[in-house]
Parts: sequence; C-alpha cells; structure tokens
Amino acid sequence: MFWKKKKKAQGEKLTIFFASDLHGSAICFKKFVSGAKFYGADVLIMGGDLTGKAVVPIAEQSDGSFKSAQSGDEITLKSQDELDEFIKRVNNQGFYPAVMSETEFQAIKDDTPAQEKLFKKLVVERVREWADYAEDKLSGTDIPLITSPGNDDFFEIDEVLHKASHIQYHEDEVTELRGYEILHCGGSTKTPWDTEREYTEEQYEARFAKILPQVKDMSRCIFNVHVPPHGTIIDQCPKLDENLQVVFEMGNPVHLHAGCKALYTAIEQHQPILSIHGHIHEGRGNIKIGNTTCINPGSVYPEGLLQGALVTLQGGEVTGVQLTQG
Amino acid sequence: MSDAAGGSRIFLRKASGLIRTASGTDTYIYNTGLVSIGLGVASIMLYGPAFYPGGDLVWACMLAGVMMALIAFGLITWTVTLPRSGGIYVFGSRSMFPVLALTLSLVEITAWLFYCAIAAYWMVYLGLSPTLTFIGYLSGDQAWVDAGAWVVSPWPMFLIGSGILILSGIILSSGMRFYLMVQKWVFAVAVLGSIMLIAVLLPYSNADFVASFNALMGPILSVEDPYREIISSGREAGWAWDGQTDWTQTWLVSNWPFLPLVGAAFSIAIGGEIKSVEKSQKWGMLGAVATATIVWMITIALCTDRFGYEFLGTAAFNFLGGTGVQVDPTITLLAGVLTGSPLICILVSLGFICWMWMWIPGMHTFGVRAIVAWSFDRIAPEAWGKISPTRHTPMVAIWTCIAVTVVFMALFVFTAFFSAIVILIEAAVLAWSIVLGAGIFFPYTRPEIYEKSPIAGRKVLGLPLMTVACTLGFFAAQFYFWTLFFDPTAAGHDPQQLMIVAGVFVIGIVFYLVMKQIRKSQGIDVSLAFKEIPIE
Repeated sequence: MFWKKKKKAQGEKLTIFFASDLHGSAICFKKFVSGAKFYGADVLIMGGDLTGKAVVPIAEQSDGSFKSAQSGDEITLKSQDELDEFIKRVNNQGFYPAVMSETEFQAIKDDTPAQEKLFKKLVVERVREWADYAEDKLSGTDIPLITSPGNDDFFEIDEVLHKASHIQYHEDEVTELRGYEILHCGGSTKTPWDTEREYTEEQYEARFAKILPQVKDMSRCIFNVHVPPHGTIIDQCPKLDENLQVVFEMGNPVHLHAGCKALYTAIEQHQPILSIHGHIHEGRGNIKIGNTTCINPGSVYPEGLLQGALVTLQGGEVTGVQLTQG
Repeated sequence: MSDAAGGSRIFLRKASGLIRTASGTDTYIYNTGLVSIGLGVASIMLYGPAFYPGGDLVWACMLAGVMMALIAFGLITWTVTLPRSGGIYVFGSRSMFPVLALTLSLVEITAWLFYCAIAAYWMVYLGLSPTLTFIGYLSGDQAWVDAGAWVVSPWPMFLIGSGILILSGIILSSGMRFYLMVQKWVFAVAVLGSIMLIAVLLPYSNADFVASFNALMGPILSVEDPYREIISSGREAGWAWDGQTDWTQTWLVSNWPFLPLVGAAFSIAIGGEIKSVEKSQKWGMLGAVATATIVWMITIALCTDRFGYEFLGTAAFNFLGGTGVQVDPTITLLAGVLTGSPLICILVSLGFICWMWMWIPGMHTFGVRAIVAWSFDRIAPEAWGKISPTRHTPMVAIWTCIAVTVVFMALFVFTAFFSAIVILIEAAVLAWSIVLGAGIFFPYTRPEIYEKSPIAGRKVLGLPLMTVACTLGFFAAQFYFWTLFFDPTAAGHDPQQLMIVAGVFVIGIVFYLVMKQIRKSQGIDVSLAFKEIPIE
C-alpha cells in the first residue's frame, strides 16, 4: 500500500524510460528521445517493433495534383502545402509515404515483390533517420538508447542499428548498465500474421537456456524481452480467426493469452528485478510475478501518443514505476 | 505483403497490433443500457404529474433528448480526439490542471456511485414492492401486500439493496466477458418488458382502466369509485392543475428524463476499446439518446392517455405525501390492474427491474475504470490499479466501488438528510460542463494533439468542429445545471446540500495534493503522467 513505510533503498538511483512498439511513428520516436530530458531518465530502452505496417503511395497526376489514400478513401492533394502536410501526417501515423508517378504506382500496385522491396527500402531509411536523430539529440549526454528487435522488425534494420553511433542494439545476449545487467531477447511467439521474427516455445526455451547462464547476478538483472510472459494481464488480446477477424462468442470478443510460457517460467524461477515487454498493444499494465516487476506500457502509436513506463531502480530494488502517456 | 486491394492506394504488410473490440452496436447497447429506459419511464411517471402539475411529459422528454444530444455531440468530439478509456478524467487531464481533472473526475464518480445506490433502492421500491403488492391485490392474500410494504422498510431495503450491489460486484469480479454476457441477457429481457408494456397499453382505453381499477381496488379500499376518490382527495390535499399545459413545469419536469439520459454518453469511459471510434461513438451515443427519447414519448403518451394525467398526478401525490386515498401508482402495477393479469404485471415489472439493474454494474464499471486510471497515473494507491492474476479484473477497485455504494445505500435508507440528497447530479453536470467548456478552446490550447484528431480538418463557420460542438454541449450542460438548480424536487440548491457538493470538490483537491506529496517523497512527479512530451 502507498502509505506503508518502506525501508529506504540505498545506492545510486537509475531511472529508465521504456517504450515499445512505435511501428514507424516518427512523432512517437521523437517524443521517446525527448522523454529522456522531460522525465529525467538516465537511460532509454526501446522494446522493439520499430518498423511500420503500411506504405502510402502518393501518385503524381498529369495535372500536377497527387492521389493517395486516407482512412480508406481516395484523396487528391492539390497544392504543395497539402502534400507536405499529408506527408507529415502519414509519417506520424507510422506509415511510409512514397511519392511516385501514377505510372509507377500502376506498375507496382499488383507487383508484390516490388512492393516488398519498396517497403524494406523505406523502413531502412526511416530507421537510419531515427538513428541520426538520436545521435543528434543524445550525443554529448551520457544517456544511452538501448533497443532489441520485435517480431515485426525486418532483419534489414539490424545492420543500420548495429552501426548507429548512439544506439546500443542487442539480441540474445546480456549486457551491463551501471551496476545492472540487461538480458535482451527479441521477437515473439507465433502470431496470426506470420511476422518476421517468430519463435516456438521450444525455441524460446533453447534461447533462454543459452542466455540465462550469462547473467552474473539475477537480483540486479533486467529482462528486456519483447514478448510478455504468458497467462498474465499484460499478454491478453482478442483472439483472431484465420481471416484475422476477432472471434466472438455470445456477442463478446474472445480473449487469449499471446505471451511466452518459457519466459513466465524463467521469470518465476530466476526472479530478475525487472522485466520489460511490449508486443501486445492492448496489454498496458504493471504486474508482479513473485518479486519481479513486469511491465508492458502498451502502444497507441497511430494517435501520435507515446505510452511508456518510467522505472526507478535504487540499491537493487524497483522503487518506482509510473506508466506515462505523453 | 498485400497489394492495393480493392483499388485502395495503400500497401499493407501483415503485422501485429492493437485490436479494438467494441463495435458501434456494442457501444449503442452499452449506452442504451445505461440510459435505463425503464427507470426513466418509472421515475417520470411517478414524479412528473405529481410534482409538476401541468407539465407536458412528452415535450419534456423531447427537450431533454435534444439537450442531451448536444452534450453528446460535444463529448463525441472529445472522445474522437482522445480515444482513451477513463471518461472526463482523460479529457480533463489533457486540457486543464491535473488537480482539477482529478477533482472533476472524483465529483462525477461520487455522483454516479450515489445514483448506483439509488438504482438499487428503486429496484426494490419501483420494481419488487409493487409486484408483491399487486399479487396480493389479485390473490386477496394480505401477506403479499404486507410483504410489498415490508421490503421498502429500512432494514429489508438496506439488506436487499446491498445484496443487489454486492451481486454486481461478484459479476464484475468474474471478468468483463461474464459481465457483458449477463448484461446482454438482461438487456434482452428489459427490451421485451418495454415492448410488452406498450403492447399491453395499446388495445385499451381510459374507460377500460377506470372500470378495471374500480373493480379491483374498490373492495380493497372500501370505496365505491376509487379512481375519482383518489383524484378528489389529491386535489383536497393540495394537488392543483387547471387542465392547461404549464410550460415552466414542462421545462422543470424535463429534469427527470434528463437524469437517466446522461447514461447515453457513458461510452466515453470505454473510448479506448471502441473500433472505428468516430462512427461507433456517434451511433452509440446519439442512437441511445434517440431510442430512449422515442420510447419514452410513446410509452408516456400511452400511459397518460390510458391511466389519466390527473389520476397519475394525484395518485403519486397522495402515495408519496401520505395524504388522501393511497394506492401504489407505479406504472407496472397499473399495467397489471389494466389487464387483470398477474403474469403481465410480473413480466413488465421484470423488464423494469432489468432496466434498473443495467445501471448498477454499468455505474460501478464507470467508477472502477476511473480509479484504475488514477492509479495508473499514480495519483491513487497502487492497490486500486492491481489486476487479479487469476480473474484478470481490478478486484480492489471493484470492491472499493461496491463498498462506497453500500455506504451510500445505508446513508440513503437510514438518514433523513441523505435520503433527501439529489443534488449530486448537479455536481456531475457541472463537471461535464467544465470539461465541455475546456473543449471549446482545446483546438487552440493543444493544437499538437488536436491536429492528430480525425475531425481536425472539419470546420463550421470557420471554427473547428470541436469548438462548435463543445460550445453547444457546454450551453446544454449549463442549461440543465441551472434547471436542476431551480428545481427543488429533482435537485435544488439547499445550502446544506450545496455544502456536500463543495465538500466533494474539496476532498478531490486535498486527495490530489496529499497523493502528490506522497509520490514526491517516492521520487515520482505525478504531473508528468498528464503532460505531452515536448519535441525538442
């Protein structure tokens, strides 16, 4: 309870600002970086799923106007101002605007491999822009930006992130951070979308078996695992059928747990100090598994709002957790 | 990777993401249930003709419906712009000082939880008691009549009412899925009850009712023409009406349909769970307002014609004031008298009871969501935000709300002062009007948020749609604040009651300041939870 007198934690205070699943939203990434100063955080951790879900072609017409789509409707942009405003809005929603001629659009609209190539090119460009932005804003500070991949992240972004000067990109390894250790494990369990980085429970068990022994002191370890632990409130989402439509029973949506069982077992057995997750956008919450604080800040990136978690560690204890929306 | 399917100019890839589950129909049912059409009919017919003689009930419903639609219009623009769960707390926390946002939310929740307790009271008073009484009248068994009177005496009322509130807690604790399933069945029975009431009234005339009423009640009351006796004794006791429509009374009596109509906007509490939010909220809120208003106008017109306005007014006046010839004037009972059928009385009563029930877990849910949101923002104890690992429900928040409503029930039943408190609705309407007032300026004060709203580009007379909608909503809310203020029957402005409202505001401010200090000592700045992160 909030009024219970707690023994004051000793030692250096470490404030983490954690967010996840920005899915290409430029405004949310900028807010995330700005969040370090705004919230007074010592470290930024991004839980993965940096990449977006849609390319929005903007096709130039013979009369100089541009045709595109918004909320399922075709729209025409008649001036440069309208075009600039539209591009900005598309970027902020996490989509990738692609200005092209109508001829190019007609050529690509039924060509799936060409679309995929364009998609990956734009995703890599966006990640590179973000890496430059982080470098620009955070260089000269001692605030690291740490991230690992989500299930939706193309493998093509790995190289960009590894090369980025101010981003620490880790996967399947344990790193050190100011007296704490961080175990990084990206991707997710199987999803209905058959995304880029999915693993079976057996594969997760094998990954944990390989990474967990690298942790020297579990009482000062943070699990940075994209998928949340199975069977909790932070991994609950609606069940989908084979057509990716929500399943209803008695008129009510059926919910299921989409998290990782192997992770739950690992947390339960090893009791790290903190476990931070994303993946399930609906699963915003803060729970305990034994003594481990488990957090999923959720995600509402299409609205341009950044959901995050501000976590304070001191003396090997979680002394504060605050879910934010800014 | 999909192609540009259906001629759409967008290339989508398969990727995981947020799935909102509540459709427009779900939103409509949620809101219509929280309007509680049956409760509206019962309360309008009980208090309307009795205390507002000459007030035209049909026009009053129309006025309340139009005003509530304007309020809903303003709230729709808020929830479309900030599609989050949490009601006015979310809107307030993004547009005004955090302390004011919390205080307005606390005032609103206090009012709704108080009316939640009153709904449990009305379930007994307007549902259970008349049913038992009518069975007694028809069967000639005095024990049923006595039981009808016994259940409304203080201790039985408190125990049954508390049992209803606790049942709501048990259902909510079992999870949203079970709650929604129960609500859908209850909603179906409630709708059938309302349809049955209209169907029952349609084939009869006022003469049929007078004959049936006199035949049944004459021997019980030992009066030859009880219908006329009730009217004449009511007039002697002070009920006065010259047969003309009184527009001042029509204006004031519109408070009674307005009170349940506020439920039509309660989907602002679940904004984060609604898909196609603009379309669904429009359909959900305005559809609920229109449905309730139309059903009330039909039912009230039929009731007034069949039972007689003068009879309804004097019967309730006598019954509630303890004067003249007294008969329970509840509509369900009168419908049973008209048909002479206990089955119809029971079925119509069951429909009414179901409508009143819809309010109770709905109001509890509204309170639970708000205090969970406070807890997430660290301005309330963590325990209120804790989710049960087994049931996946916020058990502490649920049972806190249940406990509060049981306390309200006790105060309402056992104390003369609190049983007269109806003024909290004024406080809730005032809270809404303040938030709607903030919405007028929101496109200008928070352009960085508003420009992301799907309605950002829409203008009316050169003004942002939200400004126009919230202006209309603000004036409509203010209209009802003052209507309630000048109506001592529905709310009024008794100084002692006003002190209670002021007390709730003060509690909200003190609560925020205390929590802010506690969090500060824990190294947490609660104001950060509300602020948009500035991009440098």
